[in-house]
Order: sequence, then C-alpha cells, then structure tokens
Amino acid sequence: MKPIQLNLLGLAASVLLAGCASSHNSSDQALQAAHTAFQQVKEDADVLRSAPKDLIRAGESLAKADRLSSYWGSADDVSHYAYLSQQYSAIAKQKSALNLNQERAVKLELERQRLQLALREAKLLSVQDQSNWLEEQMVSLATIQSERGLVMTLGDVLFDAGHSDLKASANRTVLKLVQFLQFNPRRVVRIEGYTDSRGDAQENLELSRARAQAVADVLVDLGIDGKRIEVQGHGESFPVTENASAKGRAQNRRVEIVFSDEQGNLGSSR
Amino acid sequence: MIYRRICAALLPLMLSACASDPAPNEQLRLTEQALSQAKALGMAAEQSASLRLAEEKLVLAQAAMADEDYKQARVHAEQAELDARLAEAEHLTGKSQQQLAELSNAINRLRKQLGGLQ
Repeated sequence: MKPIQLNLLGLAASVLLAGCASSHNSSDQALQAAHTAFQQVKEDADVLRSAPKDLIRAGESLAKADRLSSYWGSADDVSHYAYLSQQYSAIAKQKSALNLNQERAVKLELERQRLQLALREAKLLSVQDQSNWLEEQMVSLATIQSERGLVMTLGDVLFDAGHSDLKASANRTVLKLVQFLQFNPRRVVRIEGYTDSRGDAQENLELSRARAQAVADVLVDLGIDGKRIEVQGHGESFPVTENASAKGRAQNRRVEIVFSDEQGNLGSSR
Repeated sequence: MIYRRICAALLPLMLSACASDPAPNEQLRLTEQALSQAKALGMAAEQSASLRLAEEKLVLAQAAMADEDYKQARVHAEQAELDARLAEAEHLTGKSQQQLAELSNAINRLRKQLGGLQ
C-alpha cells in the first residue's frame, strides 16, 4: 500500500470517528445526569423495596453507558443508555412513592373506619341518653300501678267538656308519648277512656271511647303503628275518686294510657 | 506497516459499530403495549409530558422502521417504552396522592363531628 492510500484510509477513519463523536459533550451531560438520578434512588431503602427490578435495570443501563463512554464513536449510544437509565431511576422513584402512598392510605382507611365507628357510637349514645331521659320523663308523668304496669293519665283539662277532640295544650304530652314509643319500638299501649257519673251511662261510655280513640288517632297521625294501640271506653266505671264533688268528678274524667313492658306484654284489660 | 495493520483492524470495528441492526419488531410491540397500557388508564397526552414524549418517539421509531434504519428505530422505541412506563407510574402516583388527600379530608370531617358531639 502506498503512502497516499494510507493517508486516504486515515482520512476515512477520522471522518467516521467525527461522524460518530459529534455529540460527545451532550452524551457526557446525559451520563452525568443518569449517574445523579441513580445515586438518588439506589440508596433509598423504599425504592429498593418497591421497585428492585427497575433499580437493577437502571444500574445495568448506566453500566452499559459507562462502558460505551470509554469507546470512541459511541456518544449516541452513551446518550441512549444514559437516558434509559435515567428513566428507569425515575420509574423506580415513582413506584416507590406509589407504594408509600398506598401503605399510608391503608393506615388512613383504618383510622377513618375507627373514627366512623366512634362517631356512630357517640351518636347512638346520645340517642340512648335521650331515650333514657324520655323514659324518666314518661315515668314522672305516669304512675306504676302494680296490677296494670306503667299508667299515664291524661287529665280532663285536655278535652273540652262533652267533646272528644284533644285540645292543643295536649300536644306536648302527646309528642313525648310518640317519642317514647319510637324509642321503645316493642312497647304497645292500651288507651282507656273514663268519664264521671253525670249524664247518661251509655253516652258516657261512648264519650269515653271517643276520647280514647281521639288520642289513638293523634298517635297514628304522628307515625305510631296502629297495631301497637288498643282502645277501650269504660264510661263511668272505675272512678279514681268519689263523684260527689266537682273536683272528684274532674279527676274521674280522664284518659289513661297503659304501657306494656319492654317485650310488648300488656297487663290484662279491665 | 504497523499503521496499516492498525487501520485494517480498526476499520471493520468502526464500521460494525455504525452498521445496521436487525429490525426491532419485538421492541416496537413492547412499546406499543406500554403506550396502550398507559392510555387504558384514561391518560391524555396533554396532561403528561412523559406520555407525549412516548407518542412522539413511537412515531419517530415507526418512521425509522419505514426507512429501514433499524438502529434508530430501536433507540426511539426503547426510549418510548420507558417514557410510557414512566407516564403510567406518574399517573398512578398522582392518583394515590389524590386518594390520600380525600382520606385526610374525610378523617378531618369525622374528627370535627366527633368534637362537636363531645
């Protein structure tokens, strides 16, 4: 081979080298960036735990880029593998963040359920408190009659004389009654009407029944199941006191509400 | 004489480094799969720079395939695959972040309600 040919060959070689090495600077930068990214993730125990495969691939690609960077003419390949390594590092980082988030979400979900339970219990407790309070109120309005159980008396003042419509002043008492029955869904009631001994006994019987029915109707209107309510009229029977005085007669004109026990057992009727 | 030997040894090496590779069909399949997997999450390229990169590089890879420049096709396809996988990972992480925020909100509301009851 003559010297000229040799020179030509050298020229060709240098052209090839230049062609492949044009992006040498940018490949250095890419390699540097990939090293920095890998450095960050490889010492992170969470990343190692969450994305070991991506971490390994980031390392392998980086090693390849490093190896290629010592050869002439492989700048593009260095950039490529540096890019792959950097992306693997980024993916590993994201997967680790995802994993940590998911673990935290599990804990928060448990905390949320615990709080929901606590809230439900607190609300239930306040309902129970309310229910206990109501029961006390009811008992204070009613009296215990050993043979008939709990009995509440709606006095004569809640009705106009000779009429069976409940007066508005009865509303508070009736509302309490409704609430009490709502909190105690198994209890049933018997509503009994009574009159004094004045007037026709048959009319009195009808009036007493009509008044008891009026109370029952209001309870049903306020949402109490009619099946839980029994209605009876006793007329002038079973006076609580003598009918001789106006005061005594007023006491005898009454509607009594007999409550069952908590299991729904009513005392036998008169 | 020594130069000649060195040159003779170097030339084929350099040529082979720049020489054409086999067609990266499998890699393209992987890349397309990674992209469709990311898109199946309901991601849009407008919302994710990584997904946009992946789509652009896949187009470049397909163009290089058409030109039978298999080396470039492989380079673009490999990068596009990882861009798509990163897009997917970023999307999932963002979603989990959102979920955490919602849980924290729910917990705060519950705490407030409990405080009101006590």
